Order: sequence, then C-alpha cells, then structure tokens
Amino acid sequence: MIEPTGVQVRLLEFLRAGMFSADTEVTVETDLIASGFDSLSLVSLLVFIEQTYGLWIPQNEINEANLKNIRAIAAVVVRLLNERQPPS
Amino acid sequence: MNLTEFLDRTASNWPDKTALIEGDRAVSYVELVENTLALAAQLRKLQLSSACRVGICFPNSVNYVALTFALWRINAVVVPIPTECTEEELSSIATTMQLEAILSRNARSQSVSLGPDVFFTRLTPALPPDNHGLNLAFIRFTSGTTSARKGVALCHETIGDRVLAANQALRIGPADTVMWCLPMAHHFLVTIVLYLSQGATIVLARHVLSRPFLEAANRWQGTVLYAAPFHYSMLARDSSGAKLNSVRLAVSTTCSLPQEVAVSFQQRFGLPLSQALGVIELGLVCVNVDDSTARWDSVGRPLPKYAVNIRNPDEDGYGEVVVSGPGFFDAYTNPWTSRDDLMPDGWFNTGDIGRVDPQGYLYLAGRKTAVINLAGRKVFPEEIEAVLNRHPAVRESRAYGAAHPHLGEVVEAEVVLRDATTTDTLRDFCRGHLSPDKVPSRFHVVQIIPKTTVTGKIRRQPTPPVA
Repeated sequence: MIEPTGVQVRLLEFLRAGMFSADTEVTVETDLIASGFDSLSLVSLLVFIEQTYGLWIPQNEINEANLKNIRAIAAVVVRLLNERQPPS
Repeated sequence: MNLTEFLDRTASNWPDKTALIEGDRAVSYVELVENTLALAAQLRKLQLSSACRVGICFPNSVNYVALTFALWRINAVVVPIPTECTEEELSSIATTMQLEAILSRNARSQSVSLGPDVFFTRLTPALPPDNHGLNLAFIRFTSGTTSARKGVALCHETIGDRVLAANQALRIGPADTVMWCLPMAHHFLVTIVLYLSQGATIVLARHVLSRPFLEAANRWQGTVLYAAPFHYSMLARDSSGAKLNSVRLAVSTTCSLPQEVAVSFQQRFGLPLSQALGVIELGLVCVNVDDSTARWDSVGRPLPKYAVNIRNPDEDGYGEVVVSGPGFFDAYTNPWTSRDDLMPDGWFNTGDIGRVDPQGYLYLAGRKTAVINLAGRKVFPEEIEAVLNRHPAVRESRAYGAAHPHLGEVVEAEVVLRDATTTDTLRDFCRGHLSPDKVPSRFHVVQIIPKTTVTGKIRRQPTPPVA
C-alpha cells in the first residue's frame, strides 16, 4: 500500500515552491481555493502529479471536495495509485 | 487613436452598466474609467519616459484591466508578464523588452505601493527602446531565450481594427455577459478589449472547477463562454445537473478540440462548441459561429474581412494556411522587423497545416510552428532548451509539444548527454529555473538533434492534434 504522508510532502514542496509567494504559510490543511488556487495553478498541479506519479486525475475527480487541501488531493492520488497497483 | 477611447465611449453610453465582476464585487463602466484615470494620474507623477514599455504581472483581476488602460492613457506600451514566470524568466523579459517599470501584484525589491495589491518597480533599461515612431500599445513576447526572444508589437490602431473585425462574427453587445477563465497575460486584446468596447459584462471566474463555474454562470446569466478544451472537458463531466441556459455562444480556443470533448459537452449542455483560430500576429481569423454542430471539427469560415488560402496543398488539399486581412501585427522586436518586410505580399503564414472545404470552412490538421499550447498558455521551446543546455550533463536539447488528451499539449524534451544523468535530476534542475508547466513531462535521451541544413537551427517537428 502506498501511504499518503510521502505524497503530502511532495505536493506541499511543489505548492510552496511553485505557486505561493514566500510569505504565504501553506500546510496540508490550507484551504487552497480560498488561498488563490486558480485555473493556472490547477493545470500546473495536474501536470506535476502526472509527472511524479504517472497518473492523470480523471476530470470527474477534479472537484471542490478533492481539491480542498493537500490532504484531500494526496488522498485521491494515493487511492488512484493503490487502485492501479493492488497490494502484493 | 488610443484604445482608451473604446472604454470611454462605452462608459459614456452605458455609465452604470457593469463592466467587470470579480467575486462579489461588480464594477460599473464609469467606476472602471474613474479607476483608470486615478491610476494614470499616479503613473504620471512617476515621470516615466514617453512611449516607455511597462511590464504588467498580475493574475486576472479588475486591477489588471484598469492598469492596462491606465498605461495606455499615459501612452505607455504594455508588456504582459505571466504570473507563473520565475524571477529568472521575468528578469529576462525585462531586459530584452527594455522595460522601464514593472507593475505587479506582489511587492518587489525597491517597489513602491500604488494602492492595495499594486506595486510599481522602476527599472533602468540599458538602452531606451526605439518604437520606430509607431503608436505602440502592446508587445507580447513570443520566445524565451534572451537571444531568440522577440516581441510582437501592436499599435493602438491595429488592435482597434482587429477588435472591430472580430466582432462582425462574435457580435458581442451590451446584452452579453462573458464568463472569463483564460489568463489575461495570454489573452487580452480580441477578448477583454473587445468586450469592453461593446459594453458587455465580464465575469472573472475565480477557477474552473465545474460546480462553482456553473453557479457563477447561472448567477450572472452568462451568455458567452471563451475557454480552452481543458475547461470544457471538466464542465462536460459535471454531475450536478446544472444547465447553461443563458449561454448563446461557447468558443473553444488555444488548441484543437478533441471530438470526445465536443460531443460530451454538447450532450451535457445541448450547446455546440465553436472552434476559433486566433493568432497573436493576426487577431481572430476564423470562428465557427454558423455550423458548429455538424462541422464541430472546423474552425469555421474566415471572418468577413479576412481571406484564407492553402499554399502548396497535397493531393488531399492539406497545405500551409496563409491569411490576409486587417489588424495584422506592426513589427517584431529584437531585432526590429516591420510587417511589410516580413510579408511583402500581404499574406502571413500561420504555421498551421489545414484544408478548406468547398463551402469555405477551414479544418486544421496540425501545426508547423514550435509554440506549445498547454491548456490556454503558450510555452516556447527555446526557453526550456536554454535551461536544459545549462545543465553540465547536457550537450544539447530540443523541447516540443506532445499531444495530451486533456491539456492539448504538454512539454517533452530530447536531450543529447555529455555525461550520464537521470531524468529526475534534469527535471529537478528545470523546476529550479522554469515555471511548473514548462518542466518537461518526459525526457528522451537521443544521440543527435536534427538541424536544418541551411541555417543549422534546430528542426522543429509538426505536432499533430490529439485524436
């Protein structure tokens, strides 16, 4: 089973480096949409996830609940990864 | 002529009409004009040079629009800088475009505040820019490396011509409300300026997650959508049951429309998607407003004042798409090359491959140009190659757009290695220097990068549209 913690750390690093200004505090609980997560950020995040984990989050999974914060996004990524690679 | 006349005329005709909606804030035309006048007065006090070039680095916002028109009021030339640019990219644009100042949403070193979320940073270009006596309004850079970066320069009159020409097909008027989600740094003239010139209302959609977007479209009774296939694809999968009953026109732009998106959007909303062909050098050449259901895969017929020709067609009629018409760009900068020098016969080669059917509808089959279209953003391969080539293990590289089912294209790169290295190392290196969307999704190690035999430049491959 792939655990969410590692995914959360990667996503957090990416969002801190690429999307938020240096003085913005971002945690796994930060409400992304309220923090200015716009359509540009969304595309960049989807590309990052595809590059890093080799999976594209299906369009029907791209919604407010799954993009609420890094914890929610990481949970989707982990679920999709585990669906793709059942535990041995 | 100055483009602020368009805005002032609209404000005079419909002063209380809403021009822009950002969140819950509605700004009327008269308020927008007053806003631009106040900002222009502040900018005048800063004593910028006549016809100086000023970079503007803002996300979609009322401020973005107001500052652009304020700069035009003081006869400055606007140079959009995408917010996703890294500091290194921004610095390169500032140098090459000879910017005298940058207006940004975030404070920068030695910037001064012009109001909430508006910062002014004065720069000192090594040489004052030469606009060759033209009444320039706008320069959009089209390439990334310092040596290869060039700008498309447009005069106020040119933009005015293309805006009026485009509206013969789009027919935007004061009854329209446009739902806006594309980045203004990449799309502004034959869109935002056009809508404001005709008295429409623009709703700045905060993001394009389907549910809030549909809620906003219904709350504000949107009549026009202008977005990329990526956005329509998300809307088509919305399961809320919400409709788009007030929408009369949904334009799909930036890259070719996959059939699956066209069909699923029409099934979901009962609304066809109208493909368009817009080119920064030309404006809006085609938009399929009259037969987008049966000919969903066509970008339509040329707008009334434009002509499209297919040069060197093959046996199936596919050839290079060349265009003539109004509102063509005035010059390339760096080095300065005038339109007349570049296209003495009056025809511009778009770099697209296409065919025209007997009824005059244009179908695109791929591109010969190198620019990479990523969900509404344009990415230039040279800037990615310039970064990769700085990595000690890379001898040379070639970046290109690879077809992507959801985004149109993503960036991939071929590299010739001097020393062994890993894909992760190259990707991390790119992440340190490039905005996230420009980091290649895949690297391919190759032995040689093909060059043109005459100039020795990298040979760019055509990108077929995604099926």
